[in-house]
Amino acid sequence: MRPAQVIVCTAVAAAVACAIGVLAGSSGFGLASHDIVWSIRVPRVLAGFGAGAALALAGALMQLLTRNALADPYVLGVAGGAAVGALGAMLLAGAAGAQLSEWGVAAGAAAGAAAASALLFGLLWRRLASTALTPAGEASTALLLVGVMIGAGCSALVSLILTLADEGQLRGMVFWLLGDLNGAVHWEIVWLALAVALAIVWPRARELDWLARGDAWAATLGVAVARRRRAVLLAAAIATGAAVATAGAIGFVGLVVPHALRRVGVRAAALLLPASAVAGGAFVVAVDAAARTIAAPLQLPVGVLAAAIGVPSFIAMLLQRSAPQR
Amino acid sequence: MTGALLEAEGLALRAGSAPRGRLLFDALDLRVFAGERWVIVGPNGAGKSSLLAALAGVFTPSAGTVRVDGIELASWSPPALAERRAWSPQFWSDPFPATVRETAALARERAPSWRAMLADAVDGDVERVLDRLLLGALAASHVQTLSGGERQRVAIATALLQGAPLLLLDEPASHLDLAHQRLLVDVLLGHAAGGGAVVASLHDLNLAWDLASHVVVLDGAGRAFAGPRDEVLVAARLGAVFGVAIHALALDGRARFVVGAGPVATAVGQQSRGEG
Repeated sequence: MRPAQVIVCTAVAAAVACAIGVLAGSSGFGLASHDIVWSIRVPRVLAGFGAGAALALAGALMQLLTRNALADPYVLGVAGGAAVGALGAMLLAGAAGAQLSEWGVAAGAAAGAAAASALLFGLLWRRLASTALTPAGEASTALLLVGVMIGAGCSALVSLILTLADEGQLRGMVFWLLGDLNGAVHWEIVWLALAVALAIVWPRARELDWLARGDAWAATLGVAVARRRRAVLLAAAIATGAAVATAGAIGFVGLVVPHALRRVGVRAAALLLPASAVAGGAFVVAVDAAARTIAAPLQLPVGVLAAAIGVPSFIAMLLQRSAPQR
Repeated sequence: MTGALLEAEGLALRAGSAPRGRLLFDALDLRVFAGERWVIVGPNGAGKSSLLAALAGVFTPSAGTVRVDGIELASWSPPALAERRAWSPQFWSDPFPATVRETAALARERAPSWRAMLADAVDGDVERVLDRLLLGALAASHVQTLSGGERQRVAIATALLQGAPLLLLDEPASHLDLAHQRLLVDVLLGHAAGGGAVVASLHDLNLAWDLASHVVVLDGAGRAFAGPRDEVLVAARLGAVFGVAIHALALDGRARFVVGAGPVATAVGQQSRGEG
């Protein structure tokens, strides 16, 4: 497919997904009362779209930055920090005998994401400036390793919090960890984060195509390697942190969406980044519509359904890829 | 204004980034004019890649200055410098699927238009360079599926399509078969004849003789010899630098270097490296 056709298809898919998201509900398919549509479904669709878009954008950025098609927003460890923050806030509120609002959880998640990002930047600041002449010396490996280690430390803390939490809190915590749009009434922050992240990376997206081929080579083409890499990492951290604070740790969006777009011919970063955002938003909105209707009145966590769709489609893509491409 | 495309003055390089790393060479001067082809030869680890990277401005020399068009590298704006010199590294990473055509055009479209990106428009210059390097039939193939030699020709296409007169190529022939080595020499001679200049590192001394107007020999032990090909690329010096017996034969008016079965001449490079 030509990139232009893919862009049109993605936009149409996004419009259809949003329409379905607004029309579908536990009470059946169709327009519900004015109140339900405007105070529940529309904010939920906006939150889901924003979170999916931010995660897919962050995934595309992390794949470019680490030169690894298996990278996703979570390799940064930022989402792990957000989980520690969100669950820690729930635990502390529980210990104080209070019921935490959605905003309180989101604030905890944002604080955790910011702390993990600060740690990531502190550890990598100098490495991000390297323009090694051989692939082995480049910053992408260090970035992956440090991110994975921060993530591992955070998941140990999450386990600790789950152990300390009482029965009543556990259910909310587990739902949050699985990725949940149920309480996502605040969609503004993730859209703001998405806009900021795109504004940081999109104007110089071409430089990311060069950086993926080689640090020093990109430098000879005029890329300010250190500044660009730090900016991309910052954008990915902002997008991931805001998405996770809004909707919990929805998996697979950030991994599968950029990968699928590349397979259908969207490869230049200037196209891949916005296309990933639109397709990622559409994916989460569609999956969320399914998650709250297929077992109605029971609402499945959106992260579970995303994985149920994401895992087989990713495996299918990988198997297809092993076929000769000439 | 000297008219030289590239100048190095008092260039000294040390291995690695440490200021006290092993001295590779000291006080290298060279001036590269349009039409010239400079070939860098020397043993593994002698600093060929580091020299090219220093000339490109992506490796900091321990002493000396590099000028492009008479202007010191530090005074160039990086995007403007990219218009004047292209550097092709020895290693490439191809982490994502991309066609040969897209990869060749990477550095050409430093600010690609939306229309070109959305429509996958065909660019006549890209097709011409791909055809010249016998890559036309592979234009729609994915770079990840190419053989080493094919990938290397794509890298040469990328460098040529950057549009800069000065080409700095790090081992552009290391994976090429004999026929494609000749093709590379023809392409680079054509680039120089068209007003450009080439600085390339090579291991094949005969290929070096065919391409070069000038040669830099690095002995890896602190010395660099630079000058016109016939003064620098001589068998006795090469034998001493590489530590093998090298004989020069004349064949159809060209010097051909062969490695003799005789005793190793004087392994200057190897011995000093052992000490260092």
